[in-house]
Amino acid sequence: MSAKKALLIDITKCIGCQTCSSACKEAHGIPGDPEPHLSATAFNAVREQDGHYIRKMCMHCEQPACASACLVGALRKTEFGPVIYDKKKCIGCRYCMMACPQSVPRYEWSKLAPYMKKCDMCYERVSQGKPTACAEACPVQATIFGDRDEILHEARKRIVEDPKYVPHIYGEREFGGASMFFISDVEFEKLGFVIPKDDEPLPEVSKAALDEAPTVVLVGGTLLAGLYWITNRRKQVLLAEAQGKTIKFPMTHDDAEDRS
Amino acid sequence: MNGTTTKPMFTVWRALLAVIFLAGAYATYLRFVVGWSAATNLSDAQPWGVWVGLATLCGVGLSAGGFTVAAAVYLLGMERYRPIARAAVLIAYLGYLSVCVGYAYELGLPWLAWHAFIYWNPHSVLFDVCFCILAYTTVLTIEFAPVIVEKLKWTGFRDKFLHWHHRLATAVVLAGVLLSSMHQSFLGGLFLIFKGKIYPLWYTPYLTTMFYLSAIPAGLAMVVITLYLCNRSLKTKVDPEIIKEVAWVISPMLIINLVWRMVDLIKHGGGAYLFLRRPETAYFWIEIALFIVIPVVMFNTRWIMKRPEGIYWSSAVVIMGFITNRINVSINSLERATQAGYVPKWPEMAVTVMLVTCAVLAFRYAVLYLDVLPRRAVPERARRWLANAGIAANA
Repeated sequence: MSAKKALLIDITKCIGCQTCSSACKEAHGIPGDPEPHLSATAFNAVREQDGHYIRKMCMHCEQPACASACLVGALRKTEFGPVIYDKKKCIGCRYCMMACPQSVPRYEWSKLAPYMKKCDMCYERVSQGKPTACAEACPVQATIFGDRDEILHEARKRIVEDPKYVPHIYGEREFGGASMFFISDVEFEKLGFVIPKDDEPLPEVSKAALDEAPTVVLVGGTLLAGLYWITNRRKQVLLAEAQGKTIKFPMTHDDAEDRS
Repeated sequence: MNGTTTKPMFTVWRALLAVIFLAGAYATYLRFVVGWSAATNLSDAQPWGVWVGLATLCGVGLSAGGFTVAAAVYLLGMERYRPIARAAVLIAYLGYLSVCVGYAYELGLPWLAWHAFIYWNPHSVLFDVCFCILAYTTVLTIEFAPVIVEKLKWTGFRDKFLHWHHRLATAVVLAGVLLSSMHQSFLGGLFLIFKGKIYPLWYTPYLTTMFYLSAIPAGLAMVVITLYLCNRSLKTKVDPEIIKEVAWVISPMLIINLVWRMVDLIKHGGGAYLFLRRPETAYFWIEIALFIVIPVVMFNTRWIMKRPEGIYWSSAVVIMGFITNRINVSINSLERATQAGYVPKWPEMAVTVMLVTCAVLAFRYAVLYLDVLPRRAVPERARRWLANAGIAANA
């Protein structure tokens, strides 16, 4: 299980039957009917907009903001694609929810010991070589599962072969790329997708700030230590002069004057 | 209180205290026993609320006076301000302690908070913040420890402790200044990863700098109002000249903030948003007015600065502006992207107010029973840097 896996969601094919949502709930052992929005009990949701059905779930970013944000490293990008959550580590700070550019993670607000909930790309099934529950269940092949390279290739092929598609694969480059790809016959902006200003992966943004820290600490530390040395030295000189020689008092030391 | 004879048992202030603690206790019950939705208005769209925006961001930010004054006195030899150093350190110490306590409310699984010690993710800004806050709280404990230890009756331990403390003090203060500078900035760094969600008036790749630059004047303003209030109601005798001098530093720092902010906004494309007819524009200008414009005018008006109340109120406006800034960055700037419509529920505020009250009470008793601030007026000395010929260096 080394090849990266991915999903392709063809918005033109989706009929909004909610089978994927039901399959998702079943695969994760959650009772109940499909829900219109993501929740702590729905990791997949299908909404309708202008006659199009749009799935919403975790994008499984190549460089996930959530995983870089999590202070205890409870979130992790696995080598074959899924971004998974180790609830045993979580302390409930909810920084992942804030950091996610797609606002996907949900929280069990109704519980006193709440955990974060999101799509895990059927980690267990996929690691056994099976497709995700949603892809397997889709009756019209609107969602297909496969190796990331092949899935991207398929997406490009469809766009090239059929002019109805917008020439854009959502998820290929957004936020540094993801494991979920959408193709559509309408601009993604009009379908309520999150359109980033640039494709910079979000972990890079905070990394840039963190990388400056050692320099600032070293330079700042040296400066402060140097200033301390100087002022302390002055103090000692003044002290010695005050004690040793009988110096005029109150002292009018030029050095002491200039910074008053 | 403090054993005087004619004070009434029941006062407005005590009634207020009782209300604050009762409300806080009930809010605590709601949060830990009843549930999140009874205690907060947090939601999936708005997972962070005032417990982060007020309790953490402002709690840490307003503690910045601690490292500023400590650096001035212990590292830069500004002996003149030694009388207020302990108070500044205590403000910071209590600020950080209340942030730590506040996190018990904010975390979903507070009993697992120790995971931060064993599972490290150095790529996380929050990890660095957490690490620095814990380290700096430890440093503050060490910095403040002599104030308590010197009151102990076990003379052997006391003298040994004070001796070693004095030898290590400089290193501890230096570490403290670096740690607190680092995470004052990192608190801003937390918001960098929300790029795209944050309204352009508050987003800049240098949020770290914004947080650092704004924390210093706010921290000093906090020191000023604390000293003023101590002089007024706890009968301490802090030289009003010292308070005035600390206040004098605030105004130029606010101007630096303004210049930096405007240059940064224009450089990073926020300039176009300065005058749109949107609620964010109002939040932004309220922030600039309270944090910078009004205080700068007040600090530079002679008849206001002539009286201690004037200095007090100018500093209070700085603090209000600072709080507006942090709330804007952490809550208001995200509203357009998240559409959460978040307004804090009363228990969220009750907990925050209770934490602040605890800190204020602790400060009061520390001033009353420990040697935090001078209790009698020190005779006027020559106003000079390194005044009194380094006698303090001998201490």
